[in-house]
Amino acid sequence: MARYAMVTDLRKCVACKACTVACSAEWDVPAELARTHVRTTPLAGVFPNLKSGPCVSQCNHCDHPPCVEPCPTGATYQDADGIVRVDGDVCIGCGFCVDVCPYEARFINPRTKKVDKCDFCRPRIERGEEPACVATCTAHAKYFGDLEDRNGEVHRLVFHEGARRMETETIAVGPNVYYLGQPEQLDLVLASFPPRPPLLLTAGEAWKKLVRPLVIGVVGATLVGQAAAFFTQLHKGEGDFDE
Amino acid sequence: MSSVIPVTPAPLTTEQAEAMLHHQIKKHHVAIILVHWFNAITWIFEVSTGAALISSRLFRVAPDSYIAMFTGLFGSRANLLQFHIALGLTWIIVFLPYGLFGYGTYLRAEMLKVTDRDDMRWLMIRTLRILGKSNEPLPPQGIYNAGQKAFSMVVWVMTPLVMVTGVIMAFRLFSPWLVGWAVVLHFFAVGMVIAGLVVHVYMGAVFPEEKPAFFSMITGTVNELFAYNHHFKWWREMKLAHQAWEQRRKPKDDAADASEPEKEPAEKPAADSPE
Repeated sequence: MARYAMVTDLRKCVACKACTVACSAEWDVPAELARTHVRTTPLAGVFPNLKSGPCVSQCNHCDHPPCVEPCPTGATYQDADGIVRVDGDVCIGCGFCVDVCPYEARFINPRTKKVDKCDFCRPRIERGEEPACVATCTAHAKYFGDLEDRNGEVHRLVFHEGARRMETETIAVGPNVYYLGQPEQLDLVLASFPPRPPLLLTAGEAWKKLVRPLVIGVVGATLVGQAAAFFTQLHKGEGDFDE
Repeated sequence: MSSVIPVTPAPLTTEQAEAMLHHQIKKHHVAIILVHWFNAITWIFEVSTGAALISSRLFRVAPDSYIAMFTGLFGSRANLLQFHIALGLTWIIVFLPYGLFGYGTYLRAEMLKVTDRDDMRWLMIRTLRILGKSNEPLPPQGIYNAGQKAFSMVVWVMTPLVMVTGVIMAFRLFSPWLVGWAVVLHFFAVGMVIAGLVVHVYMGAVFPEEKPAFFSMITGTVNELFAYNHHFKWWREMKLAHQAWEQRRKPKDDAADASEPEKEPAEKPAADSPE
């Protein structure tokens, strides 16, 4: 079984945003909400040694995706090949997964009112093509492939060229989009756009901690009460009643 | 035969009880019976599919095997969700006219009547009697007893909540924030109704003393003895109404039949005295 991953070489990226355009064209997503977007870090350092650089982000198809568990209906799930997917026919647009993603890779598509995100262009992969952003990248800064394929480019970049995951000490969920770059460049990107702690919305918290235990408690109590009544009835026997 | 209508339940003679047992009186309109069973079937399907729809480990109430079984039964989770939504919307469409037109005549008049002291005592004694802790007679009740009224109040607060949150989710109305809360409130409201349903189903279908009430939801009628023993206030209302109707009718008969007036003076004081 494959384990798909992507590598972005930030040394090559010129922040042209062709990947964003290709993505929004491929998946009919408004460009400002495309499944992949390019940000530029703020200036760092002291003049004249200033640094800044682009960062291309999208869904990381994490090894331990925090977005799968809070999805009430099971619309979000992870395939055996590691791709985290959303079944649009099952999504109800509650947004629990949007705020839980440490990489802000998810959004509610205003056209469908359902959650949307990168799926590594699954239909294109199945046709044997590269994801739209990889095929489009003007600088050839993006690589896509099977991490377990020892002869593959992605395997080489990750295991021999030292491509890095954007994770911190506290938030390490195993993202599968790797980055190549100068160490200080990657440090700057990570410091500028660190993964945020997974956050369950108040509604989800209230459901988990208050409403679910309450409902189970109340229904359980009436069931126990009725069971007691039923066994009393069996014990007494059905004697006298008006018939 | 006797036109003396007691104010409180009095012991009946064997002949009286026998006559009342074989006299059926109408309790439910056929529309109410149909709506009741439509509602029951809908709830069975909606609750069973709804429980299977919540698959998140954080929120689910059904085990994995149950969720897998229902997903398999419907072919896919998308089909399961579509069925749940389609049946839910049908349910709302059927209930809208009932809620709008039935509210004035049926619900406000009968189901949502304010509870009184008898109702409170009924709830207490009923519970104790079921558990075999009391032999006190049950206080007299109207057409619906305090338990039925309490359940109907839960239902009439929670049903609109289930419908509104369901529609918000089905069409993903307004904002994702609202849809997120709609899921939670939908679950809460259904949970409260199910807690009531547990009691409702037991009292209606299993508990021996209320068996005529169960069959009245099929035939529409109960025997008069059951009405006398379980819904005395209703029985008395019907008797008083019947008596008033007879008295309104009598003057017309007097003109036709000359022997009637002699009877009437003797009966009238008796009928008025309990008031």
